[in-house]
Amino acid sequence: MKKKRFLHFFLRSAAQRKGRNLMAALSVMLAVAVVTGMVGITSGVREKLGAELRAYGANVLVSPAKGGSFSKEIISRIRNIRGVDDASGQYFTVASIRGHEVEVIGLELDKFRKMGWKLFGRLPGREGEMLAGINLKTGLKPAEGNAEELIHGDLRREMILSGFIERGGPEDSALIMSLGDAWAVSGASDVIDVVLVRVSPSAFEEAVRQLRVTLPDASVKSVRQVASAEESLLSKIRLLMLLVTAIVVFASSISVASTMAANVFERREEIGLMKALGAKRRDIGAFFFAESLLIGAAGGFFGCLFGVAAAEVISMGAFGTFIRPAFYLPAISLLTGLLLSLVSGYFPVRDAMRSDPAVILRGE
Amino acid sequence: MSLIELRNVSKEYRNTHALRGIDLVVSRGEWMNIVGPSGSGKSTLLNIIGGLDSPTSGEVSIDSVDISRLPEDDMAVLRREKIGFIFQQSHLIPYLTAVENVMLAQYFHSMAEEKEAADALSRVGLGHRLEHRPSQMSGGEQQRVCIARALINNPEILLADEPTGNLDRENTRLILELLDKLHSEEGFTIVLVTHDPFVAQWGRRVLTMEDGRIKCDESICRL
Repeated sequence: MKKKRFLHFFLRSAAQRKGRNLMAALSVMLAVAVVTGMVGITSGVREKLGAELRAYGANVLVSPAKGGSFSKEIISRIRNIRGVDDASGQYFTVASIRGHEVEVIGLELDKFRKMGWKLFGRLPGREGEMLAGINLKTGLKPAEGNAEELIHGDLRREMILSGFIERGGPEDSALIMSLGDAWAVSGASDVIDVVLVRVSPSAFEEAVRQLRVTLPDASVKSVRQVASAEESLLSKIRLLMLLVTAIVVFASSISVASTMAANVFERREEIGLMKALGAKRRDIGAFFFAESLLIGAAGGFFGCLFGVAAAEVISMGAFGTFIRPAFYLPAISLLTGLLLSLVSGYFPVRDAMRSDPAVILRGE
Repeated sequence: MSLIELRNVSKEYRNTHALRGIDLVVSRGEWMNIVGPSGSGKSTLLNIIGGLDSPTSGEVSIDSVDISRLPEDDMAVLRREKIGFIFQQSHLIPYLTAVENVMLAQYFHSMAEEKEAADALSRVGLGHRLEHRPSQMSGGEQQRVCIARALINNPEILLADEPTGNLDRENTRLILELLDKLHSEEGFTIVLVTHDPFVAQWGRRVLTMEDGRIKCDESICRL
């Protein structure tokens, strides 16, 4: 009953300042969105990065050092190097489908199963068949079993769509086909842009050294190196976001503190009256802290939604992949919102609790 | 039997002596008015009796309990248990209805009961104005809500600081008749501050203050 009455008086009071409280909640929301976005990107992308590279089963990437392409013979040369378990080539080109430019990835389809991509439909079983990235399904709406014309310069080639793939990367917006078909689409022949190499971990250093000696015109990078390049980009983004987050959180806390200070000032007479009626410090504090909590919870909830959305947009833009928000992200958002509003509201509320009723009621 | 007792009470505000060595005893069931010019210390004396302020020196007892050095929260408990305040500006919360304003005092005391709050308003003749907000009521009605709020927790002492200061003669009379009824029929102890001679004559005892001192205590002056 007492709680019900508290809620009644609290809501009546909070409703009086809904405009101001809404502004404070928006400030908290902004700060929480930035914090959530930052945590979401740094945790989500790192997880994705590791999984992405592991999915290939490759631990070394070989690409032309000075641009251009390799001849397909390079694959057999690499396979012959001691310590190399397997090697698989990929070729990239661009083609137009129904007036839209899309990336075409040619690869060895027999390696597909090892790559851990999700397949909807069936793998291309013969020449002239292809897979489409899942994003194209919603964009271009091609249907399985249908023939699609791919145009590359003056070349035109009909390909049958056998299914869709999903990987959570740029491949989701590309067409995937055998190397032979990709060459036929672009008019190229027997060229490779990158070779994914699986080196036995026990002979790793020696095999990488051998690869560099055997292929002097190639760039040989361990997956760890590739990952660390992306990590370095991630670190820079993280640093920038930390800075932005600190500024936004600071600005937001000032906004909440000034809102609470204004609320306390506006309610001075009420506070004096409540004290004269026998309210203890904690009774007064309860009303104001409840207001802070409401601002923090609302800001935390909506900040979480906006933060996750922002993280997805940034992640897609910077890394070409969506992230799966960590399960603890909503808890972090809510806690950030509550902590921010409580800490910012602390000093104004403390002043309210300490105020002298005799002075206030005299109107001084 | 004394209900309020002050012994050598002084109050200083930054080198200003608001009260100088006040000795005072108010008996249970007494109605005492305090009069005097502005700055004579009337309101300070009332605030100290009501535990809204504490003396710089001296001792204040309410119902034999020394309250002069009570911690703030204990003072809050004393106020809600023993004292009902009636202010000049009524100090009603503008966004609450009459009945909610009364219930707020109950809330801090124990349990807010709407029916009891409505009964208290009926007692002061406002049974028909329960759901009205202060802005929808006249000054006299607002002051009666303030009295209902002061009565709701059955205090022993009613402290009124210029309760009719903002009212016309007709409403002043209404409020004083109400206080008189509460005093004579229900035995409330009343201490009232006023500068209005018309109001002052309603008390059974008049204390005149000047420059922080008691210039004249009518019951003593008559001797």
